[in-house]
Amino acid sequence: MKLTRKGSAGSGSAEGAPGTSASLEGQSIDRRTFLRRSGLSVGGVGAASVLPGYLMSRSRAAQDTAPKPDVETEIRRSVCTHCSVGCGVVAEVQNGVWTGQEPDFESPINLGAHCAKGASVREHGHGVKRVKYPMKLVNGKWKRLSWEQAVEEIGDKLLKIREESGPDAVFWCGSSKASNEGSYLQRKFASFWGTNNVDHQARICHSTTVAGVANTWGYGAMTNSYNDMHNCKAMLFCGSNAAEAHPVAMQHVLRGKENGAKMIVVDPRFTRTAAHADQFIRLRPGTDVAFIYGLLWHIFQNGWQDEEYIRQRVFAMDEIREEVLNNWDPATVEDVTGVPEEEMYQAAKTMAENRPGTIVWCMGHTQHHIGNNMTRADCILQLALGNIGVSGGGANIFRGHDNVQGATDVGPNCHTLPGYYGLSEDAWKHWARVWEVDYEWLRSRYDTRRKYNAGNGEMAYTMHIPGMPVSRWIDGVLEDKENLQQADNFRAIFFQGHAANSQTRNVEMKEALEKLDLVVVSDPYPTHLAVMSERQNDTYLLPTATQFETKGSVTASNRSLQWREQVIEPLFEAKPDHEILYLFAKKFGFADKMFKNIRVEDGVPSIEDTLREINRGTWSIGYTGQSPERLKLHAKHRGDFDTTTLQAKGGPADGEYYGLPWPCWGNPELGHLGTPILYDTSKPVAEGGLTFRARFGVEYEGENLLAEGSYSAGSGIKDGYPEFTLGMLRQLGWDKDLTAQEKATIARIGGIDVDESNLQEMSIREAIGSKADHINWKTDLSGGIQRVAIKHGCAPFGNAKARCKVWQFPDPIPKHREPLYTARYDLVDQYPTYEDRKAFYRLPTLYSSIQDKDYSGEYPLIFISGRLVEYEGGGAESRSSAWLAELQQEMFVEINTADANDRNIRDKQWVWLEGPEGGRIKIKAMVTPRVGRGVIWTPFHFGGWHQGEDLKDRYPEGTAPYVRGESCNTATTYGYDSVTQMQETKATLCEIKPA
Amino acid sequence: MRQWHAGLGIVAAALVLVGCYESTEVTVYDPGVYKGEEDPLMAKQRKEAQQERLRQRFRQVQTDR
Amino acid sequence: MARMKFLCDAERCIECNACVTACKNENEVPWGVNRRRVVTLKDGEPGEKSISVACMHCTDAPCAAVCPVDCFYTTDDGIVLHDKDLCIGCGYCFYACPFGAPQFPEEKAFGMRGKMDKCTFCAGGPDPDNSEAEFKKYGANRIAEGKLPACAEMCATKALLAGDGDMIADIYRQRVIRRSGRPQTWGWQKAYGESI
Repeated sequence: MKLTRKGSAGSGSAEGAPGTSASLEGQSIDRRTFLRRSGLSVGGVGAASVLPGYLMSRSRAAQDTAPKPDVETEIRRSVCTHCSVGCGVVAEVQNGVWTGQEPDFESPINLGAHCAKGASVREHGHGVKRVKYPMKLVNGKWKRLSWEQAVEEIGDKLLKIREESGPDAVFWCGSSKASNEGSYLQRKFASFWGTNNVDHQARICHSTTVAGVANTWGYGAMTNSYNDMHNCKAMLFCGSNAAEAHPVAMQHVLRGKENGAKMIVVDPRFTRTAAHADQFIRLRPGTDVAFIYGLLWHIFQNGWQDEEYIRQRVFAMDEIREEVLNNWDPATVEDVTGVPEEEMYQAAKTMAENRPGTIVWCMGHTQHHIGNNMTRADCILQLALGNIGVSGGGANIFRGHDNVQGATDVGPNCHTLPGYYGLSEDAWKHWARVWEVDYEWLRSRYDTRRKYNAGNGEMAYTMHIPGMPVSRWIDGVLEDKENLQQADNFRAIFFQGHAANSQTRNVEMKEALEKLDLVVVSDPYPTHLAVMSERQNDTYLLPTATQFETKGSVTASNRSLQWREQVIEPLFEAKPDHEILYLFAKKFGFADKMFKNIRVEDGVPSIEDTLREINRGTWSIGYTGQSPERLKLHAKHRGDFDTTTLQAKGGPADGEYYGLPWPCWGNPELGHLGTPILYDTSKPVAEGGLTFRARFGVEYEGENLLAEGSYSAGSGIKDGYPEFTLGMLRQLGWDKDLTAQEKATIARIGGIDVDESNLQEMSIREAIGSKADHINWKTDLSGGIQRVAIKHGCAPFGNAKARCKVWQFPDPIPKHREPLYTARYDLVDQYPTYEDRKAFYRLPTLYSSIQDKDYSGEYPLIFISGRLVEYEGGGAESRSSAWLAELQQEMFVEINTADANDRNIRDKQWVWLEGPEGGRIKIKAMVTPRVGRGVIWTPFHFGGWHQGEDLKDRYPEGTAPYVRGESCNTATTYGYDSVTQMQETKATLCEIKPA
Repeated sequence: MRQWHAGLGIVAAALVLVGCYESTEVTVYDPGVYKGEEDPLMAKQRKEAQQERLRQRFRQVQTDR
Repeated sequence: MARMKFLCDAERCIECNACVTACKNENEVPWGVNRRRVVTLKDGEPGEKSISVACMHCTDAPCAAVCPVDCFYTTDDGIVLHDKDLCIGCGYCFYACPFGAPQFPEEKAFGMRGKMDKCTFCAGGPDPDNSEAEFKKYGANRIAEGKLPACAEMCATKALLAGDGDMIADIYRQRVIRRSGRPQTWGWQKAYGESI
């Protein structure tokens, strides 16, 4: 799979040897030896001038970054910024320079381990290829400008656009690479600007997981943890290549395997993860629902399902059973997925006989136009086996970026305010209370001139309509204005920490970029976005700090929050996200309102205060207990936590779970331990136990949706119950447990003036009547309702069944539908896609009109993409790191030997890969049996080339990454999930020809 | 003036020529005998305290805990 | 006295290149010189295995045996090091080494072949421990600081083990028992004349 393992530099698209070396000096002749031998100790001008330049520059570079003896070394602790595993990083700093990196063996998450990316993070402290100061394009040339100038110019242009086209004409792209605080401020900023056109990488990463999983059992997150995989008896990986995407997770996976777990890997490719599996199943891309149903067929046929669990805790499994047994017999499954009955049976048997077992899925599952169906099918499989809510089981969804979980939870999302509160009036009012701003003022920031189609035919103001997602911003620029559900097209984009080359349809993206009035890239590196178009003016680069140059909290995939210390000062003229947002908030005149409760010192908003504000508002998912103080304590005493259970044994955090995995209920003073495993009824809620969330009402079409006879340990209610409201507390007679202060807060939220001094004595009814009955566990800012529910052993969000049927979704029961661009066109009749939609996230969205045409003749190869361990995301950062770039120097495509021979293609030959929408990329062929016949695979981290052209000259001087190559997404195609607008990159078509 | 110039020339020549000077220190080779610098690490490693430190480190970083 | 060894557990190695990068980072090894690399056998096929390879610090090291200037020395705990001031860059060691460990920077200044560079077990060279001179010529000296090689300490899955051979063997044997497989100590027989 790795095309290049070169010993030397300078070939292909890789740039020559960068110079941070020491040891080379001793190899031929070093400068001091030369001087000594030539008898010159001083005045060696002549001697030095004959030295080759590379020795000189190396010498300087080494002096900059190498550790020095006898210089005081400070230790700073951070967390790797490359993936969601959350590996601890220990940095050694001398005089402000990052001179050493040590393994963080005390971290219970990585025990000192790193992958290539994690082992290279010290390079972030060198930043040779960084954007060093604000720049703008002037007639095609990059010109330096000051921060003041940049903010003034950009700000004026944005205000002009806002004036002319309304607040929705700007797309604000936030980031999963920002800290919780940074990403939270990104969402808050967009809200104050007056638009929901704000989004981040989760849209194209796990949005279908979040939607699918949350709608099944309550929360859209990994249920267990990497560490808990030590306890698995079986592990089913679907569309996850953990060995390359989450390498340190494999430490826990392989420990689980050594403890006896059976490991099954399902993927179109024989991945590096598959190389460690007991069983590898190759399936046709895009048929994951059929695959899961194929497993369920054997489970139902053999009666392997957990009937008691289903009776107590699962809704509508009978409808799944009917669907599976009627439509997904082994022959059909084999026809659709390509997996023979014997292999299906073996996998189903392994999962049935080895419980608890877990399922792991990643982009292979999520990035489809029916991604939400696939993720729900996974949940259903686990529910059938009774595997959710138990240690060793669970849906272990490995998230992507280091803070994609946190940014999804509290950050920039176009369809919701922080904490999944949504965009309803109630949601806005809740956050207005937290922010202490007037709701009407917030409303006035939005476009209130007219209402638009909210998607379901209902008309609403843009404030209440999901904005355009990051996967579709190009359509926000290119689509006919009349077809948009907002006032105007996008005229400006502001990207803070997102690689656009990880999005599909780059050819149209180039067109969109060239049409925009203004492009701002706030990033440590210029990124592909800055160079891919032929823009000449109105394009700005703002040097932005990495997370090692600031501090804050970051949420790992397992929902643990970890605290990062600042390792070094921002390099060059870089500023961290929150400082840049503050500058623009000031320019736009809402800084005082936006930072009302966040202290700003020397222009830098307090990270701690920002987290405290998150704590005060995010009751819905229990981001309320993780105060900065508690997180810092965990970081300091991380060695006290068990590496399997993540629970502290002794020490100041005794009994707590590492990083207080959310939900960490109530306020910090409540001292909740965190929830290491979601929906685990074996523990009391106060100690991390939980039930399934009652999120979908108490009944559906006359059938009970609440749990039956299942409840968490020590529950005061020995059966299912709805979510807690003040009214419910009153009915139970538990309202008397509320403190006077809590009562007063609840009353205030209910709009009732009360005399606080009387409250101690009075019941809530006497004090405020029933007017505040609707106030619930999510909107009660005192935390009293949560506290009292937990005191009685109950989960604040209720105790319901998980549901197999999501009646609000296009496919209530998950269905297989052929990819929009399918190689099996003969199956389209039976498994067609959806009808086109007129207004979906403000945009027309095509389905059937694309699938109507058969492309499989001209483009017969199925095209999928994925990750390399050395690079991350769009790769602007990692391809700019010499240590990583050396390991992967060329963009390539994996093609099966038979397909290569059919096309007269030889290994390492240049080829053209063309997608059905016309995008073409020039790359190297890697002929390998790793991909099956008819399927090709490319990595998606490359950029800096466009349709055969190296764009090196378009980068500002000295910032072009060492390694550049075609973005695979120049050749990828249209296709978006029917619930979340996830892009379909894991099943499209192409053809490959020798170049 | 000329003399001054000549003097300068000699100094310059001398300066250039010292660049060609090679050390006369030679390492006489004996087959099978290491004649490089003595590594101070050798002595350090012989101390039990140092060996114990390395064992301790091993237990911290190399075990699954 | 410990006998320092490397062991790569192929059942755990996932070819993530953390070891390679950790080495680059710790020793500031230049582009083009790879003291450590990961080798994958049967790439992309069932039976695919990866192993991280560097100087194994052999007992009776073949490199030392062929060196025409005898620039190698072995510490009491078995770490094979060399003095770059003596090395003439002839390349004999490269041909003798069963692991392909010795590295030579490409021809650069004055058309000279560079002096040999290889894994030092993060134990530097004969210059004073942790001095600037030592770092420039040989890289870090973690052993002197009571630490183990960076590659093994940062291994993603603890596949690569470095330290006293007996302690490594203990860990490895436990894993083999749990996996109920046969030990596959790639390279041990060749490097140390014994298997686990």
